[in-house]
Amino acid sequence: MINRKKTLECDLLIAGGGAGGMQAAIDAADAGLKVIVAEKANTRRSGNGATGNDHFVCYIPEIHGSEENFINLLWHTQEARGGKDIDLVKSFMYNSFDVVKAWESYGIPMRPHGTWEFTGHCRPGVQGVHLKYAGLEQKPLLTKAALQRGVTILNRCPFTEIITNDAGEVCGGICVDLNGEKPELQVVRAKTVLIATAGSMLMNGASTMGWMFNMIGCPASTGVSTAGAYRAGARLVGLDGAVAPIGVSGCKYFNRGGKATWVGVYTDIDGNPLGPFVTKPDWRYGDFTADFWPGMFRMNIQKGNPVFMNCSEGTDEDIEYMKWGLLHEGNGATLQHLADEGFDFRKHMVEFDAKKGGGGGKGVGIDTFGDGTTTVKGLYAAGVSMGNGMVGIGAAATTGRIAARSAAEYCKGRDIEEAEKADIVEEKAEHYSKLLENDASTGSPTWQEAIIAIQQTMWDYLGSGVRSEKLFQVGLRHLGRIKDKINTVQCPTNHEFMRCLEAENTVQVAMLCMESSRSRKETRGAHNRVDYPFTHPDYDGKLMTVQKIDGQLVTGMRAMRK
Amino acid sequence: MPPIINKDKCIGCMNCVTICPMDVYGKQEKDAKTPVIHYPDECWHCNACVVECPAKALSIRVPLPAMMVFVDAPKKKDAQQ
Ligand SMILES: Cc1cc2nc3c(=O)[nH]c(=O)nc-3n(C[C@H](O)[C@H](O)[C@H](O)COP(=O)(O)OP(=O)(O)OC[C@H]3O[C@@H](n4cnc5c(N)ncnc54)[C@H](O)[C@@H]3O)c2cc1C
Ligand code: SF4
Ligand code: SF4
Repeated sequence: MINRKKTLECDLLIAGGGAGGMQAAIDAADAGLKVIVAEKANTRRSGNGATGNDHFVCYIPEIHGSEENFINLLWHTQEARGGKDIDLVKSFMYNSFDVVKAWESYGIPMRPHGTWEFTGHCRPGVQGVHLKYAGLEQKPLLTKAALQRGVTILNRCPFTEIITNDAGEVCGGICVDLNGEKPELQVVRAKTVLIATAGSMLMNGASTMGWMFNMIGCPASTGVSTAGAYRAGARLVGLDGAVAPIGVSGCKYFNRGGKATWVGVYTDIDGNPLGPFVTKPDWRYGDFTADFWPGMFRMNIQKGNPVFMNCSEGTDEDIEYMKWGLLHEGNGATLQHLADEGFDFRKHMVEFDAKKGGGGGKGVGIDTFGDGTTTVKGLYAAGVSMGNGMVGIGAAATTGRIAARSAAEYCKGRDIEEAEKADIVEEKAEHYSKLLENDASTGSPTWQEAIIAIQQTMWDYLGSGVRSEKLFQVGLRHLGRIKDKINTVQCPTNHEFMRCLEAENTVQVAMLCMESSRSRKETRGAHNRVDYPFTHPDYDGKLMTVQKIDGQLVTGMRAMRK
Repeated sequence: MPPIINKDKCIGCMNCVTICPMDVYGKQEKDAKTPVIHYPDECWHCNACVVECPAKALSIRVPLPAMMVFVDAPKKKDAQQ
């Protein structure tokens, strides 16, 4: 049987110490809570912002004018395109600048050139909303700020399960500690749990199928947010948007290569601009075309026209600014790769394309309210884990703060419960012990097989560009079989065991995505239901939902909050 | 194999083992000095190990399938005329 460590206790247990989780940890500690962060990797360098980001969406009234003006600008950004629940947008808007100032107080350079600089992700004549900052050291600095406030960080300790009491309210969480020779079960009693483990990257697959971790988003985000919250009874939202054929864009094949930090012009191979916004590189804007119109790539490829990011006509100032930005955006390896290959920004241009599978977490996750609460009492969500939130670093940190402050209020009237006595703890201990006994020598499957099997099923039955009831039936049946096989995956080391748990969550999220898409009986955008070819007014302004009610999977929809 | 350790420079501090978000590295069982690269194909090219290595002993090689696609930029428009 898997060893059980001594039960820990706290007010707020945070699953995932990325930007959202660490900001929440800092603010909850400031509000007087006892905080534990359970992190799969090491919070110093984990998550999508491990080695930095360079654009922080933020509202500064002196710069953006009225709230209405800011929201209008926001609707045009990739983070909020298509609209968002207004309570979320407003609480983000009211808090974002304070978080920026807090980041500055932790030592993160938020105005590295002296002023609040809004460059990139924008176009001439229109005020940008992305604050340009220098994020390379953001994670070590957030970690330091949290430790200074007495936060306990459990590194290499992935969160696996939310524990609820008989009333369905949160009372703790289960993690597995991977620091020792063998995995150990760590139960944490907690009045509240914040889920901030981001999306479900491994469900999508990289465009380089043979190189699985070549991903646009952090491959450590493997669906415990969505699947774990579902198991605890939380309502999920936006799962029909998964694996859409037109995702975000970036450097072809090298998927973490950045996008809006590049200072150039999208051109064809002859140097003709393809978008309407810029004809010459300009460090103040970048080329906004792909932010607003990712369909540009598909349209051009269908015409046999590869699309390039052409920086060759930039001034020295443009190119230096871009390189500095890429370094702080976590693209140090990208710059090194280009240098190793003899790439010269003045002589060459890099091909860009639309990424298969999009952001992996974008719009696939927990249904969250403006104060960070969810449909389960005591459960909070922040960052990319939110299915209806904005993506990006500014949104992650700001929603982390909002959720932490709500959790602090909720904790006031709550007692600690004996979460370790819940049935789920025993069930999971048995289940993990069984997995650890799977014998590698008998030819049992590997986690890689499981993930590739899920990815190809998602591509063919959800993400091919064609969706139908018949495809869903077959896809779900096949995913169900993969799910059973995952119980037999070999886990000879802590590493394989961790990956096996990731596969379990990934297949569950995949199935939920397919069920949610199946319930949406219309065609709109990338959701191309050939068996329901019309856009149906019933779905106008609606978000698709999935939830477990009385043990049954229930699909539905709700109106976007206006 | 994405991360490459320059064994002459490595001081065996194991920062890379601690920090790598993908758990690519592990400790050497016998000779404790240089870490082992257990799972090179799980590297995400995040560069965290490179940034955190005090001895500048690490570099990342991008695998061929992830190699960027680039071509010569066309001559400047005014130069052509
Ligand atoms: C190269 C790159 C550049 C980017 N640039 C920008 C930018 O300039 N501006 C912008 O707005 N956005 C940018 N983004 C996106 C932005 O980084 C993310 O939206 C943001 O960091 C998400 O924060 P988060 O807290 O929701 O998730 P993350 O920061 O991804 O944190 C999730 C954390 O959970 C951990 N975790 C996962 N599973 C578990 C588990 N089971 N148990 C415990 N822990 C777990 C992970 O290790 C990680 O630490 C960029 C992303 C990348 C990859
Ligand atoms: S680049 Fe990132 S993922 Fe790759 S080995 Fe280094 S720390 Fe690990
Ligand atoms: S961080 Fe650098 S010096 Fe330290 S063990 Fe790794 S390679 Fe060696």
